[in-house]
Amino acid sequence: MAKSETSLFARMVVRVAAVLLFGAAGLVVAAWFYARTAADVAYDRLLQGAAVQIVENLAIIDGKVEVTVPASAFKLLALAERDRIFYRVIGPQGRTLTGYADLQPDPRKLPKSDEVSLLSTHFRGSPVRMAIAGRRFFDPSFTGPAYAIVAQTTEARHALISELTSRATGLVGIMSLFGLAGAVLAVGYSLRPLNRLGAALRQRDPRDLTELAVEAPREMRPFVDSINHFMGRLGGRLKQSERFVADSAHQIRTPLTAISAQLNMVDETGLDQASREHLDRARERVTEMARLIHQLLSHALVIHRFESTALAPVDLVAVTRHAFRAAVPITIDPDIVVSFEAPETPVIVMADTLSLREAITNIIDNAVRHGAVARLEVRVRTEGETQAVVEVEDDGPGIGAEDWTRLTQRFAASSGGKGVSGLGFAIASEVTQALGGRLWHRPATATERFAVVMTLPLAPEAADRKEG
Amino acid sequence: MRQAFLGLLALGLMAASGLAQARAAEGERTFFPAPAQQARVLNLTAATDLEAMAPLIRGFQKTAPDVAVDFRDMVTNDLFEKAERACAEQRPEADLLISSAVDQLVALANDGCVLAHRSRETSALPAWANWRDEVFGFSFEPAVIVYDSRHVPPEDVPESHADLADLLRLKPDRYRGKIGTYDISKSAIGYLLAFYDSQQAPMTYGRLLESFGRAGTLTRCCNKDVLDALEDGRIEIAYNVLGGYAYAFHLQHPYLRVVVPHDYTIVLSRGMVIPKQAAQPDLARRFVDYLLSAEGRAVTDRQAFYFSAANPLPDDVTGPKALMASGIGRPIAIGSALLAARDRAQRERFIAGWVDVIGPGQSR
Repeated sequence: MAKSETSLFARMVVRVAAVLLFGAAGLVVAAWFYARTAADVAYDRLLQGAAVQIVENLAIIDGKVEVTVPASAFKLLALAERDRIFYRVIGPQGRTLTGYADLQPDPRKLPKSDEVSLLSTHFRGSPVRMAIAGRRFFDPSFTGPAYAIVAQTTEARHALISELTSRATGLVGIMSLFGLAGAVLAVGYSLRPLNRLGAALRQRDPRDLTELAVEAPREMRPFVDSINHFMGRLGGRLKQSERFVADSAHQIRTPLTAISAQLNMVDETGLDQASREHLDRARERVTEMARLIHQLLSHALVIHRFESTALAPVDLVAVTRHAFRAAVPITIDPDIVVSFEAPETPVIVMADTLSLREAITNIIDNAVRHGAVARLEVRVRTEGETQAVVEVEDDGPGIGAEDWTRLTQRFAASSGGKGVSGLGFAIASEVTQALGGRLWHRPATATERFAVVMTLPLAPEAADRKEG
Repeated sequence: MRQAFLGLLALGLMAASGLAQARAAEGERTFFPAPAQQARVLNLTAATDLEAMAPLIRGFQKTAPDVAVDFRDMVTNDLFEKAERACAEQRPEADLLISSAVDQLVALANDGCVLAHRSRETSALPAWANWRDEVFGFSFEPAVIVYDSRHVPPEDVPESHADLADLLRLKPDRYRGKIGTYDISKSAIGYLLAFYDSQQAPMTYGRLLESFGRAGTLTRCCNKDVLDALEDGRIEIAYNVLGGYAYAFHLQHPYLRVVVPHDYTIVLSRGMVIPKQAAQPDLARRFVDYLLSAEGRAVTDRQAFYFSAANPLPDDVTGPKALMASGIGRPIAIGSALLAARDRAQRERFIAGWVDVIGPGQSR
């Protein structure tokens, strides 16, 4: 058995999912960057606004820099609800006018006059964003820069970033799921012809080696063509081997007849007991072999006839009666009660007389040889409007289910020692299937005897005639 | 020592029964023994009168019978300074701080001196009464006007800030020396209320301040002292008194009437914080949750501070019935915007301006 590989469906879906996953991850990272920028821009404005408000509120009164921290600046900063606020106003000589004296920015980051610089830093162990607004005074009492430093913790920014990012992630996730669902549907749809082809192959009769008649998309055409080509070759090989078997059987028959004749001519009188037994066994084997050869030939004949002969309406009753006579020898054990039942009117089926008779003969022959102990009944009847039935019933032990499967298979029948039925059932089975019927067996039960049953469809005209 | 405790306990019991006029001087200590076997002691420091706190502490002890409460009553500024120092020195002080000067509590939180606490109760608070899950407002105290109905005729009763300014302008001689309010240089809550007045209505505030200055307004450090002056008959109208105290006083002295101004009313929510160095933060959290729970609220609304956001004003209070729904009530939002009031330069200038107008002469 070929190594089982992952399904095409799984391959495609896994790859599409991987692409989607990578894409989604990329988008989420991008969304995070955008969110961070957006949050920084939004909250930096507040910070800048507050710093500028404070620095603009500085005034020189009576030669002193006076600071009034406007409440509105704090209201502005309080828009970032959870964030802590630190500030400091630096006047002349770097003196702290108000606020947190330990809020000490990097001197290099101090802005030039009338500008605002922004930086991220830490204050008292918390990460903060800091805005420094500068203002230069040109007053006789004070000429120089003053600064308003406003710092705020970054909780609101982070909250905004995570909110924006998680929303974007949600959208990307939904989009990816849609994409994946679409891919699953599309892949499933694309692979449907493949499944159809598989089903067609699976449901095919093992002996049907004709071309596949399945609609297949262009991409699958070479595959279907290969299958058809392969089946053609297989069919050819099969015919060849059948012909070889038939030829061989034919070739063997002549020497076998000669051996048989020679054996019959052996003078037994001069032989001792042991040699006589050997001789009897040799004769038995030759007879068996002759029968096998006969069956092989009749099998080949049946095959050949189905290939070359058109089916015609045949009276099943007549054919069965004929087969019954042929199969039940006159020398049959008189203790066996044999009976034949059939309707008065003909039962017409579409068949090839020779093949059908061969099949039925084989069934009855098998019952005579291996089944019947005291009873053998052959019945022909119709069942419903469309079915014709041939039933061969005996009081023997019957055939087990496993044996039955083996026996009805072509070329598989002749294993085992004594009591083999040869190719009889294989031929019967082959013929029944070729005629669109069914060959089955009814196991022996307490009330019913074992029976082999052949069911064939009634010929349409026959059915019509019956109605008319 | 033991006797002192028992005495204080008796005081507390009287306060709770509502019969006595028990008053704890600010800065005093009161011990509430555990109703059951004492297992732990909650150190509670509050800038809140014992009368208001006692029913709440007792209510809490019903839910935690094995907890004794060591209650320390302090003025707001002392409480803030102590807490700031304790924070700077990383030394345990109280387990829980309660103060009406919420700007100070916000400053403590801003400086990283308090612990956060999240619970079902804290998340149910309105946004303006919860900052960073660190500062929680639990009461609802409008700043009201109290007048002595024996002396102030009905036509003179000021029902708004503007009314009060007009009254003092029209009858300056009649009410000279008869108006009292906080000394904002000494009282943090007085400063906060005045600061908010100036923010809410700068014009009215200016007129009012000017009128106060001309009327020779009496200023006192604290709520109690203002109300006492009213009781003594030294003054007839008290301005910007916290509603809870005012109403409690009215219940004792029915002739003292309470007016909730109808132009705008500043509403204070008394705040509480758990200091970072609290020895028993879990106990403090339980107390916080109790105060914010339905039971705690019921006690706050009926026995401690008498006003609530959800319920209408008490019947014998003059003022708009639906304070919050009408938009007249302006809550002092607990948040970083309060830091503006804490700014040193701001504060100095504001108080200087106030003292300039009112004059220090009348202060005590």
